[in-house]
Amino acid sequence: MNEYRLGDVTVGMKHEFDATFTAEDVAAFARISGDVNPLHVDETYAKGAGFASPVLFGMLTSSLYSQLVGVYLPGKYVLLHGIDIDFNSPCHAGDLLHVAGEVVFVSEALKRVEIKASIRRADRKLVSKATIRVGFHVD
Amino acid sequence: MADSTKDGDEILAELQEIFRDILDQPDLTLTRASNASNVEDWDSLAHINLLTTIEKHFKIKFALNEIQELKDVGEMIELIQRKLASK
Repeated sequence: MNEYRLGDVTVGMKHEFDATFTAEDVAAFARISGDVNPLHVDETYAKGAGFASPVLFGMLTSSLYSQLVGVYLPGKYVLLHGIDIDFNSPCHAGDLLHVAGEVVFVSEALKRVEIKASIRRADRKLVSKATIRVGFHVD
Repeated sequence: MADSTKDGDEILAELQEIFRDILDQPDLTLTRASNASNVEDWDSLAHINLLTTIEKHFKIKFALNEIQELKDVGEMIELIQRKLASK
C-alpha cells in the first residue's frame, strides 16, 4: 500500500495494475448488492442476449477504481469523495483487466486530489473510464 | 483579460449555475447573503466540491487562509474578483 501525503502528490503521477474477476466473485457481488439481473448471473440468458457469457457488473469492475485510489494513488491517507464513471464495453469473468490512473488536479488548500482512470481489456478495448475525487484525512 | 473585468453580478450568476449543478438544486437562487447555514445541503463535502469547481471555472487557486475566512457568497465574490484582478 502506498502512503503518499498530500505534499507528495503532483499532477501527472501515475499507477497501473492488472486484475481478473472469477465467477465466484460475480456470485458474491450479486449476493452482496442484491442485483440478480440475469444478464450478470444467468449464462443461458446472457447468451440469448448476444453475449459470450454473463456480463461482469459495472459496479464490480469499478471497485478496481476504489483499489486504485485507496491502495495505490494516493493510497492509505485518502477517502473517496466522488466518482463519475462511463461504461463503454462489456467484459466477462476471466478477462484480464488493466487499470490505469493519473493525477490531474491537486488542491492543497482543499486537500482534494482528482484522478482520471480507465479500465481496458487485454485487447485494449475500453471497459470504463472515470474521474475520481479523493480527500486527504491527514496532513 | 475578459475574466479580470467581470463585475459582481456576473460572478454571482456564474456561481449560481455552479451551485445549482453541485447541489443538484436546479431552482436555487443564490444571493450575496447565501451561506452554508441557509442553503440546503451545503455541507463540508459539498463545500470542497463547490470550491474546486469554482477554481477550475475561473482558473484561479485559493489559499487555505482565504477559504477559511469566507462567511458568505458575497465574500466569495470579492475573493474571486481579487483573484481575477491579480491574474
